[in-house]
Amino acid sequence: MRNVITVLKKEFARFFKDRRMVMSIFLPGIMIFLVYTIMGTVMAEVNKPDENYKYTTYVENIPQDSALAAVLNATLDFKEYESADKAKQAVADGELDLAIIFPVNFNESTDGEAVPNVSVYYNLANDNSSNGFTVVSSILEEFKRPSFTVNNGENGNLAEDRATVGKILSMIMPMLMFSLLASGCIAFAPESIAGEKERGTLSTVLITPIKRWQLAFGKIISLACFATLSGLSSFIGLILSLPKFMNGIVSGDTMMYYSVGDYFMLFALIISVVLVIISAFSIVSAFAKTVKEANSLIAPLMIVIILMGVFSMFTATPALGLYAIPLLGSGLAFSSIMTFTVSPLGFALSIISNLAVAAVLIVLLSFMFKSERIMFNR
Amino acid sequence: MEEILKVENLTKTFKLSKKQQKLERTQTKVKVAVDKLSFTAYKGEIFGLLGPNGAGKTTTLRMLATLIKPDSGDAFIDGKSIITQEDEVRRKIGFLTSELKLEDFFTPNYLFNFFGELYGMEKSAIVERRKQLFERFGIDRFAEVKFSSLSTGMKQKVSLVVSIVHDPEFIIFDEPTNGLDVLTAKVVTDFLTELKNDGKTIILSTHIFSLIEKLCDRVGIIINGKLAKIDTLENLTKQSSLEDTFFGIYKEVAGDIL
Repeated sequence: MRNVITVLKKEFARFFKDRRMVMSIFLPGIMIFLVYTIMGTVMAEVNKPDENYKYTTYVENIPQDSALAAVLNATLDFKEYESADKAKQAVADGELDLAIIFPVNFNESTDGEAVPNVSVYYNLANDNSSNGFTVVSSILEEFKRPSFTVNNGENGNLAEDRATVGKILSMIMPMLMFSLLASGCIAFAPESIAGEKERGTLSTVLITPIKRWQLAFGKIISLACFATLSGLSSFIGLILSLPKFMNGIVSGDTMMYYSVGDYFMLFALIISVVLVIISAFSIVSAFAKTVKEANSLIAPLMIVIILMGVFSMFTATPALGLYAIPLLGSGLAFSSIMTFTVSPLGFALSIISNLAVAAVLIVLLSFMFKSERIMFNR
Repeated sequence: MEEILKVENLTKTFKLSKKQQKLERTQTKVKVAVDKLSFTAYKGEIFGLLGPNGAGKTTTLRMLATLIKPDSGDAFIDGKSIITQEDEVRRKIGFLTSELKLEDFFTPNYLFNFFGELYGMEKSAIVERRKQLFERFGIDRFAEVKFSSLSTGMKQKVSLVVSIVHDPEFIIFDEPTNGLDVLTAKVVTDFLTELKNDGKTIILSTHIFSLIEKLCDRVGIIINGKLAKIDTLENLTKQSSLEDTFFGIYKEVAGDIL
């Protein structure tokens, strides 16, 4: 065990005393926060109509002396055209925002007869025109002569914000988690294993009496720590940017819906996933002759890992057996924690399957450290 | 004299790639790097392995240092097999070769402690040994400078002290003065003599005749993976200089020098 700690200490010293390495942990988190915040803000700005803008509109048969006319007057900038057809052409050409044709009998009673129709012509390719259509439709909606109202002044969506948030997060989180953790791992494994092999510093350790499993274990545990830190930093960056990113979809602090227990489970999942990914990457790195080769060999593996996250998004009610598939199972468990429907057994299975795979991979790595064909294949 | 190293029929072959086959102008897919090598070294002596490049010196030393495994044969260091008792062998030996590198990022102090710990040494023992060796080689002046910033000579000194951090009884040096300036080379050769005087056994590989003449008690001449001659330095230099003796043997074994 002492040797494992010695290796751990060395890897940590190598890492934390190197400013660039430390930066590589925090930079992705900061970048993700900035990118998503900016994206969210820009998207909200683009979608928000200008409140002072008056839509240029041609109106025919506007019901006089009505509340509706007053409201429309406040919102629209009326334009005169020779005929409705000319006005419609102007809308199509983008010169005019809207053309509204009220029926002649708009204010008359329509008992038993056909319901009067208001035609609103707009141009989807023109932002002002399509925004104007949304505004006018909602005004008209309010002035529809109602025989009844629907959800009058009340939000009919009985799903709580909590469930909405859960649904959204369960769709994006597993894939994001897998790709963030995998990119954390790819930053460290090739450098620490293929790099040391390439530079000849691994052999220097291999002629000391350290057991090969101690070296493999020490390396993987320390690399897993760095990858977890880097994954967590990205994760926190993502969570902090969520309120801006999901602007309007949900209100309030999204992450407040989850309990300490939920976070604990997420963390356990992250650790177990990192162990699998870093062990797999370490094995590829030990096999490769150079850091470059390791990186290119890892690329396809990375895609498989991200796909695992994608698959778990499309499996709504997974069979328990699926949880026992390494990585995929954790994606499913992650998803179910997000939707507050986690099955304890499924959660346990996913963790156990990851740990089992990681253990097998660590043993495999120790054997690779023993193999001169792999260690000295130049 | 007490035997400390016994090499018995040590053999190592390497597979040749297509490209290597072309370069070596051969159809055979296997190159015999070390061919049934047997010799013995005695406690307290400096044993020199002399031979041209590619003769199998380094391969032999790498096998003795348990870095690679022989195809057949075995060697025993202080009675421990390099095949079945690797860990014990590793504990007993120090190995210095240019292909074992130290991490550029760390300082000599850190590297010394790290390897000391890997050899299972107590902290106090490491500190004491470090003080002694760093003073001896003047490393204390740059003990806190990153390895990457050191000169070639300084690096070799650090590699040397790190390889013997655990005070091994049996030390393997592969071309220890290669690429060093005369001053550093002298520091290294003087130290080898010191180690010998302390009763350590040293196996040294080189192709530099003067180094052998200056240091070695006995010499094994390796040509094409085989031991062509083994004798005391005294006997080998009785008739002619070591250089002439070597070329005589080479001509006998391998034919004319191209």
